[in-house]
Amino acid sequence: MPIIQKNLKNKPSAIIAAVFIFFILIRLNPVFGILFLLVVILYIKNNQRTSIDLKNYLGATIISKINLPENIAAIQNKLKINDLVEENEKNHLDTEDIFKFIPAGDVSQAIKQTKLEKRKKYLHIALNNSMVEARSIIQQLPSSDRILIEVGTPMIKHYGTEAIEQIKSWTAPGTYIVADNKCADLASREVEMMAQAGANASTCLGVAPIETIDNFIEECKKYNMDSMIDMMNVEDSLAVLKKLKKLPDVVILHRGVDETEVTKGKQIPLYQIKQIKGNYSVIVAVAGGDTIKEVQSALFNGADIVVVWKNFYQASGDTAQLANDFLKEIK
Amino acid sequence: MLNKRYKYLQIAFNRSFEEVRSMINQLPTSDRIIIEAGTPFIKRYGMDGISSIKSWWGQKNAGNTYIVADLKVMDRGATEVSLVAQAGASAATCLGLAPTETIDEFIKNCEKAGIDSMLDMMNVKFPFEVLQKLKNIPNIVVLHRGADENVNNREKILPLDQIRRIKGAYNNIIISVAGGETTREVMRTFFNDSNIAVVWRSFYENPQNATRLAEDFLKLTR
Repeated sequence: MPIIQKNLKNKPSAIIAAVFIFFILIRLNPVFGILFLLVVILYIKNNQRTSIDLKNYLGATIISKINLPENIAAIQNKLKINDLVEENEKNHLDTEDIFKFIPAGDVSQAIKQTKLEKRKKYLHIALNNSMVEARSIIQQLPSSDRILIEVGTPMIKHYGTEAIEQIKSWTAPGTYIVADNKCADLASREVEMMAQAGANASTCLGVAPIETIDNFIEECKKYNMDSMIDMMNVEDSLAVLKKLKKLPDVVILHRGVDETEVTKGKQIPLYQIKQIKGNYSVIVAVAGGDTIKEVQSALFNGADIVVVWKNFYQASGDTAQLANDFLKEIK
Repeated sequence: MLNKRYKYLQIAFNRSFEEVRSMINQLPTSDRIIIEAGTPFIKRYGMDGISSIKSWWGQKNAGNTYIVADLKVMDRGATEVSLVAQAGASAATCLGLAPTETIDEFIKNCEKAGIDSMLDMMNVKFPFEVLQKLKNIPNIVVLHRGADENVNNREKILPLDQIRRIKGAYNNIIISVAGGETTREVMRTFFNDSNIAVVWRSFYENPQNATRLAEDFLKLTR
């Protein structure tokens, strides 16, 4: 087993090796070849992680050719230019006018998605300290569409929605901003406020009344935001999801800071990730683990988003390095 | 600090800065009125909102100001409590649904900061059980039916029978009831021995009638 797992880290060579062995066996004896094929299929079916990896790898190589944001942008620009050139020929415009229509700067960033994608993994960095600290952390972060920036609850309560506007203005255009408002009541009003401040997602407590969560999800849809349900202190997340009229976009499995510091034994219920993903088509985020090791085990258990904050509480020389380390785990 | 033998009217403000200012100016002066900075208000304006409310009400009510910051703490009790204490609040709220560790931290830090701790029992089925798990008892327990619950589900009722039960078991506790909006409901909560009645919707919907509404409710606190 360890050999196979090691091989899989090196996905392309593992696949090539498997195909190679298959052909050799087929040459020797067709029965051996078919048996080998069956064993491989069984292994992949039984080992979910491998199959996910394989799917990601095969899917990514094919889709990346077509679907890269840069490529889309290039195609769109080409189309635009073609149209304009045609128009230009008709109307005898100056060529300079054409380029006025092409957005300046990095095009790939301008069309970054404002909604999360199900197949991707994300690093979710929560900012919980002062605005000065937040600013210097943001400046050090590497640019990546895998990084989500969260405006933490203490920040929102301290500075109001201005905190969201400020942080949005400091980040690169198109960065995904999460407002951790932890809504417990009056959902429609809070979602409206967060949407107006420019957040891409808002959070609601899983322990809140069901009516509030239903209102919250509906309201998020209205503003084209992602709805995130924070399952802190919820014993049975599946039971909560079952009661809802509509599913949220993201479910956050969360161990609170106070819980972690006072009671050392409490664990994040990682086994719930598969339970939830098996039953509902939602994105699952895990919050409350901060070491690389905890992040690894969350990802291994199928989490799509890992939320970290403690290491990013204060900006230091290592902030960029740290973010890169986490990003490496995610890819 | 609050007197256990009095009845209080707590008015929660959730509108915009300017509207809240004019509503507070319309209120009659009284030592029975508690002003609450609502959760959406805090999330919108932050600590500035709380200190502004404090100074508006202070000018109006001759320094006799009891301001509640409806923080609805769910995690990290310590940080948020010290923030609102600095902003001038006299009490802060924590969710009864939060982890027990958080509530304990919250109560401890409220004592340290010298403000009253309020435990909001919204969506808690058995408030009594939550209280039993705590190391220390909060100053005030809020029995609460959420606003969204109120609108979407008329069957849910306020657990008024819990008031006497909690008061019987814990001597020094003050009970506040939130979620009743008509004078009738407020009268009922006082009749059932609560100390504080929290109202907000009638003020939210008719900001121009704040004076008359407050006077009507205040009659009941006598």
